[in-house]
Amino acid sequence: MAAPKIIVIGGGLAGLSAVIKIAEAGGNVDLFSIVPVKRSHSVCAQGGINAAKNLKGEGDTTWQHFDDTIYGGDFLANQTPVKGMCEAAPGIIDLLDRMGVPFNRTPEGLLDFRRFGGTLYHRTAFAGATTGQQLLYALDEQVRRHEAEGKVTKYEGWEFLSAVLDSKGVARGITAMNLRTMELRSFPADAIILATGGVGALFGKSTNSVVCTGSAQSAIFQQGAYYANGEFIQVHPTSIPGEDKLRLMSESARGEGGRVWVPRNPGDKRPVKQIPAAERFYFLEEWYPKYGNLVPRDVATRAIHKVVYELGLGIDGQPMVYLDLTHIDRATLDHKLGGILEIYEKFVGVDPHDEPMKIFPGMHYTMGGLWVDFDQMTNIPGIFAAGECEYQYHGANRLGANSLVSCIYGGFQAGPNALRYAKNLTAAEGDGGHAAELARQTEINNRLVRNDGNENPFRLWRELGQTMTEHATVTRYNKGLKVADQKIVELLDRYNKVNLSDRSQWANTSFAFARQLKNMLELSRTVVLGALQRDESRGAHYKPDFPERNDERFLKTSKASYTGSPEGPRIDYEDVDIQHIKPRPRRYDAAK
Amino acid sequence: MATTHQTAAPQVHSGVQPLRAGQGTSFLWRKLHSLLGIIPIGAFLLEHLLSNYEALKGPLAYAEQVKFLNSLPLVRVLEWAFIFLPILYHAFYGLYIWLRGKSNVVYYPWAGNWMYTAQRWTGMIAFFYIGYHVATQRFLGADLPHNPGMAFAKVQHELSNPLILAFYVISMIAICWHFAYGIWLFAAKWGITPGKTARKRFGYVCAAIGVLLCVMGLASIWAFVGPKYANAPANVPVSTLVAPAHAGSAFHLSSFQPAARS
Amino acid sequence: MADRTVLFEIKRQASPDAPAVWEKFELPWRPGMNVISAMMEIAANPVTADGRETTPVTYDSNCLEEICGSCAMRINGKARMACSSLVDNLEQPIKVEPLTKFPLVRDLQVDRSVLFENLKAVKAWVPIDGTYDLGSGPRMFPQEQEVRYPLSNCISCTCCMEVCPQFNEATGFVGAATIAQVKLFNEHPSGKVLKEERLRALSGDGGIQECGYAQNCVEVCPKQLPLTDAISDISRDVLLQKAKDFLRG
Repeated sequence: MAAPKIIVIGGGLAGLSAVIKIAEAGGNVDLFSIVPVKRSHSVCAQGGINAAKNLKGEGDTTWQHFDDTIYGGDFLANQTPVKGMCEAAPGIIDLLDRMGVPFNRTPEGLLDFRRFGGTLYHRTAFAGATTGQQLLYALDEQVRRHEAEGKVTKYEGWEFLSAVLDSKGVARGITAMNLRTMELRSFPADAIILATGGVGALFGKSTNSVVCTGSAQSAIFQQGAYYANGEFIQVHPTSIPGEDKLRLMSESARGEGGRVWVPRNPGDKRPVKQIPAAERFYFLEEWYPKYGNLVPRDVATRAIHKVVYELGLGIDGQPMVYLDLTHIDRATLDHKLGGILEIYEKFVGVDPHDEPMKIFPGMHYTMGGLWVDFDQMTNIPGIFAAGECEYQYHGANRLGANSLVSCIYGGFQAGPNALRYAKNLTAAEGDGGHAAELARQTEINNRLVRNDGNENPFRLWRELGQTMTEHATVTRYNKGLKVADQKIVELLDRYNKVNLSDRSQWANTSFAFARQLKNMLELSRTVVLGALQRDESRGAHYKPDFPERNDERFLKTSKASYTGSPEGPRIDYEDVDIQHIKPRPRRYDAAK
Repeated sequence: MATTHQTAAPQVHSGVQPLRAGQGTSFLWRKLHSLLGIIPIGAFLLEHLLSNYEALKGPLAYAEQVKFLNSLPLVRVLEWAFIFLPILYHAFYGLYIWLRGKSNVVYYPWAGNWMYTAQRWTGMIAFFYIGYHVATQRFLGADLPHNPGMAFAKVQHELSNPLILAFYVISMIAICWHFAYGIWLFAAKWGITPGKTARKRFGYVCAAIGVLLCVMGLASIWAFVGPKYANAPANVPVSTLVAPAHAGSAFHLSSFQPAARS
Repeated sequence: MADRTVLFEIKRQASPDAPAVWEKFELPWRPGMNVISAMMEIAANPVTADGRETTPVTYDSNCLEEICGSCAMRINGKARMACSSLVDNLEQPIKVEPLTKFPLVRDLQVDRSVLFENLKAVKAWVPIDGTYDLGSGPRMFPQEQEVRYPLSNCISCTCCMEVCPQFNEATGFVGAATIAQVKLFNEHPSGKVLKEERLRALSGDGGIQECGYAQNCVEVCPKQLPLTDAISDISRDVLLQKAKDFLRG
């Protein structure tokens, strides 16, 4: 029998990790990516990657990492896979080091570690302030090596449209569209791994890259996959507001000593550096003396919102607070944070060495994603998922520097598991559903091209982003969530009248975008309805009307399934695996 | 695998081809070009400028120098092997390099880019000049290898034409520029000055070398056109000694001494 | 301020063989606006300055924070990243064109895959034994990390190749980015094992010898890679390798 064929969709850390494992085990991989894989969104991760290597004499352990992660995620994550990830993390760091990632070193030549939010240990390995870039490149290089040896075939510039399912609902391949020739094609495979990243585009402007639309997850969701914990959206406390996107200001800025403050007097007209310490309100340090500026992201984000919207202390009355690094000497900053400070200077035009940065929370990450079992397989046989597009490792809130490790660990699990699955797969009946699925996709395309309405897809998207940001991010009210859902339903209706200003069949970006938009709209409903039905506050999900965590009703994974009906997705609840650590209250104003 | 029907889709043109890893011989030819520019061509240029400098001491000293050079053993072989052929190769391969580069100094007017462009233009000037100079001074007119005494007057006569004089002056500057920047490029591209600071410092050294050579060269030209040796005799009697008293090396300090008066 | 606008002139080309046309756009000015946000505005409202309906502009982009390397284009004649090109710092009308050295796909989108082929040709990777647990990596001092890290910041934007007078179809020059990656991997304790192969690869046609040292690469690089230093170092290494190979036969 020929080596099983696995299709991996997405060339970020999770996808590439899976590819490497499969290629190494002798499998045959087709790698699909919208962009050249080296340009995937993982490249944006800045601060670092967590692993309890305990190289700072603090007595850190993988159990402690596990506990921090579960606690930080407000006990919503299934504990067994998280435990596995934390135990594997030190080995993953070693592997990355062997692959040539230029991690910062100690004078003795060992890996250096920094502190990150939600922990009291120095547990975060880092390569300057561009850790994600360095990690992605290391994996990209390994994949290029396998590609040169003929074990991997890359399909860069192809967008995944759907899975091909046979009559028994088993995955037999995918359909994809060439973004240059607009050619539609189906590709056979014995197993599929989705590693398609985040959903930032649902919120219009976010810290995510342009390709992070969640379109692939949504397509699979609409084909019957569960989408779990979709309501858990991480809003990063420190982003740089921009016209086209929100640019991340890494948590490492606080990890290296950055302090968040606002003037106590909101009308303070003095130049920022002349405001004396006594008249600065270091609110995170005052409210959370133990963790200070390094409280978890949801806590910091809500604190900033409170300072700006409830206390009216935003700088110059604007929704902004200071993130101050000016007390740290220039050489240290350049050495440890050079890359991100350069971003700030380039995009804002102010040197953060000299002046505190002005930042505000921005949508950053989805803890929720495709439901997967402990083998990383979705409920559709043969479709696996890894990385940000699945839900498994972060519960209700992700700790900083845990995403990179979860991507790589997830990929390392999904790859071999998919291969094992594929080896035991029986042959499909007939063509496995290829012709039918291709016909369905062709029909969707034809309808879209012919459509003769008056709606511009990019404008619909802006409206979606505004609604989602307003109602479904930091603070959620059931009234607002209902408004948001109605708005999405309205947008879905208007989507039927989309008019492409470009109907050509060559590198037509609005065509590809219009297809993504439909999927974005469908997926947005799972976020909004998931939030609406979860009447509690947990991790990143915060409802002032239900300010307490309610373990009795909601220590449960929400599982959305597509119904196709106007009422939207159905949400079911599943118990969480809490066999290792008993849930306890999550507080960062005192020791846990 | 199923696929939809496609009408004739546009085709992306092929662009710059990828590296032909380890294939071909262009490395050798390019490095030879680079090396020849320093040795022997650069070395010869130094020798030539130093010899010309003898002209400042008058027609006799100049004639002695010409005679000395022509008395070197196997001089014709040396001339072809170490001067003509290397220059021809350097010139034609340099032209080939130029033709394959696409200057964009209009869009990117940065110092290094200007120098890149200048290196090509000065090379071109040098190419034409050397062709003309060798033809007229070495192969046409008075046969200097056998009549070294006529050297000074021949050059003087040549430079009496103001257009040719201008051509000489421009070419002298161009050649010194080309050589000085050539040394700098050689050091940078052969990894002798791999650091930014090293390249900057060596840049000053090369600039000084270029200016010095250029001043020497222009001074030599002045010797022929200035009033001091105006209307030099068509031929000066050269000593019958096999080698002049200062025969050592063209690089030797003694060459600067007024040996011709001995 | 409410009526302030920004003028753009964008070179459009529907396909590789279609004629190129310049289209003018007048867009509302917003603080902190960059060239990408202008493209987004055009996509949401594809109408030219003279009121003619057109199509959204095709261009590559992804991260919008100058780390993915996608959105390189020529802006006011110079190759640079569109995301970090702030409108307020540019002379108007802002002229936007595709890179010139790479095959055009459509509008501002070009095919830059040659760089990835080059990276393959020089084996720009550390050939690890496998991904199974083999313990910690080689010790490396901070000084060594400080040599490698800047080189590892290359975002494959290809600006260095675009501005290089030697990078063209006649030479098939490999370009500075790939040479820098050779240095990056040759400096790694286990990446070194392929050092000789990489150096020999770079002595092939289109190799490092084609560099004319115009130094545009280092001027244009948005990530300030020490490209000319890498070229000098690797040139010397290639030369020594060739000499060794010659003497050893």
